[in-house]
Amino acid sequence: MVQAIGVCKSYGGVEVLKGVNLTVNRGEVTCLIGPSGSGKSTLLRCVNHLEKHDAGELLVDGNLVGYEERDGKLYERNDKQICRERAQIGMVFQRFNLFAHLTVLENVTVGQVKVRGVSADQATTRARELLERVGLVAKEKNYPSQLSGGQQQRVAIARALAMDPKLMLFDEPTSALDPELVGEVLDVMKDLAQSGMTMMVVTHEMNFAREVADTLYFLDHGVIEESGEPREVLAHPSSERLRSFLSKVL
Amino acid sequence: MPTNGDAELRVVPVRHVGRWVGAVVALVAVAMLVHTLFSRVPTGQVTCHVVQGVRRCRPVVNWRFSWNIVFHYFTTRTILDGLVLTIKLTVMAMAVGIVLGVMIAIMRLSHNRLLSSVAWSYTWFFRGTPVYVQLLFWFNISALYPTLTLGIPFTAVTFLHINATTLFTPATAAVVALGLNEAAYMSEIARSGLIAVDEGQIEAATSIGMTRSQTMRLVVLPQAMRVIIPPTGNEVISMLKTTSLAAAISVTELLGAAINIYSANYEIMALLIVASLWYLIVTTILSTGQFYLERHFAKGSLRTPPPTPLARLRGDLVGIARTIRGSRGLTRRGATS
Repeated sequence: MVQAIGVCKSYGGVEVLKGVNLTVNRGEVTCLIGPSGSGKSTLLRCVNHLEKHDAGELLVDGNLVGYEERDGKLYERNDKQICRERAQIGMVFQRFNLFAHLTVLENVTVGQVKVRGVSADQATTRARELLERVGLVAKEKNYPSQLSGGQQQRVAIARALAMDPKLMLFDEPTSALDPELVGEVLDVMKDLAQSGMTMMVVTHEMNFAREVADTLYFLDHGVIEESGEPREVLAHPSSERLRSFLSKVL
Repeated sequence: MPTNGDAELRVVPVRHVGRWVGAVVALVAVAMLVHTLFSRVPTGQVTCHVVQGVRRCRPVVNWRFSWNIVFHYFTTRTILDGLVLTIKLTVMAMAVGIVLGVMIAIMRLSHNRLLSSVAWSYTWFFRGTPVYVQLLFWFNISALYPTLTLGIPFTAVTFLHINATTLFTPATAAVVALGLNEAAYMSEIARSGLIAVDEGQIEAATSIGMTRSQTMRLVVLPQAMRVIIPPTGNEVISMLKTTSLAAAISVTELLGAAINIYSANYEIMALLIVASLWYLIVTTILSTGQFYLERHFAKGSLRTPPPTPLARLRGDLVGIARTIRGSRGLTRRGATS
């Protein structure tokens, strides 16, 4: 589903990603762990082209992200094409980023109606199904500011799912939450993983990674330092860096 | 420490002496103002009546502020027509200012350096010259361009010729001048609103596949409105008064109408008061409208909307009633020595 081959990205001379190779298979959950500043979030943001990668190849569902290859040249895709690609990739942010001026229900319908062109009635029906699934159907008339962090994040997941994405990206979805609210969001994510959604999750929740992930990647200083089956990797880290990272977070 | 168990302890409030002195001074000033507003002065003439064979004379007095004349002209046709024109000018100039201002603000925030410099220069120019000068400039534009032509730039191809004097009537010149000037100020207001919207909102909109224009229209602008509305309300009120400058280019808006009347009858003060009262009435209505508009656009950003003036008044009355009814002391229950 996602394939990264030597992906590089730098911000004003600082290299954040230094040739990342990674594969995410359809229906699998991939967790990215690593110290802050290691490039995990940047990689995730490159996948839906919120950031442009500078070098390397990044493929989603067999298509190059942001570019098109024709006659031996790479043509940058125009805004419309990029938007169409993005609409099929859901993203959940650390800081929720729910639309503050819209109610919970409107947050979940706006993309369906305005981007996918679904009728308002159908969008509402679908939104209610999704809110039911994340356990927030009673809050549909509330504004995001009236919800707890955990509730907001669950709405954000519903908003992303409303686009019927083929891939879901989670950028530290529980890092901004009070500890007692982390569980409710992880439960929704586990449920989603079990339903067969392809997911890429940047996280500091090692237990979640151990239980749910099919593959674990450890990033440090812009490169994949170690990867593999999460239980195996976490129990027997082979690199010194991962060992020292785990000793701090576990 | 002496206590008296469950009994009520009397609370002695702090006396604010300075505040009281200030209040008394203010009250006296208000009384003087009201007194002079409704005082009468002798006109120098005398009226005489013969009552039961006796001739009695007394001096004629008149309102100092000519309220009778104010009242007479308050709703005359000329003044009301002027008022309507003032409102029309305000609405049209603000419409031009807001639409153009938002466009300039978006241009200013563009990543394209050319667009942002053009926007910056616009604001620089129109904020840097007096609006009165701009008004005179557009009024006299036909001196620069006797005819206006629509065609392809730098070629001989033209589609349309318009005589500048027929297009730029005094009222049009006023709308153009005030609108273009307003756009410079509105662009800064709109820009502050746009940059106040959290970056994350834009990312979220982008991530669900919205195009840039959808993101702007559906996510950024509605939230920027909360920041944009209050200063825009001020601009509308300010514009309502600025339209009076158009009187200088022979537009008979409210002030122009008043001037026309007083140049015939010399009741200068009375007609200036008529105009001022109308300005006050309209600005009061606008301020009320602004309050409810702000309340509307605050949704989602406040957990509970602010109370309406009526609700606040009710709250004040309840508070006063409670004070009058007593319960001046704090009860100390369960206090033991």
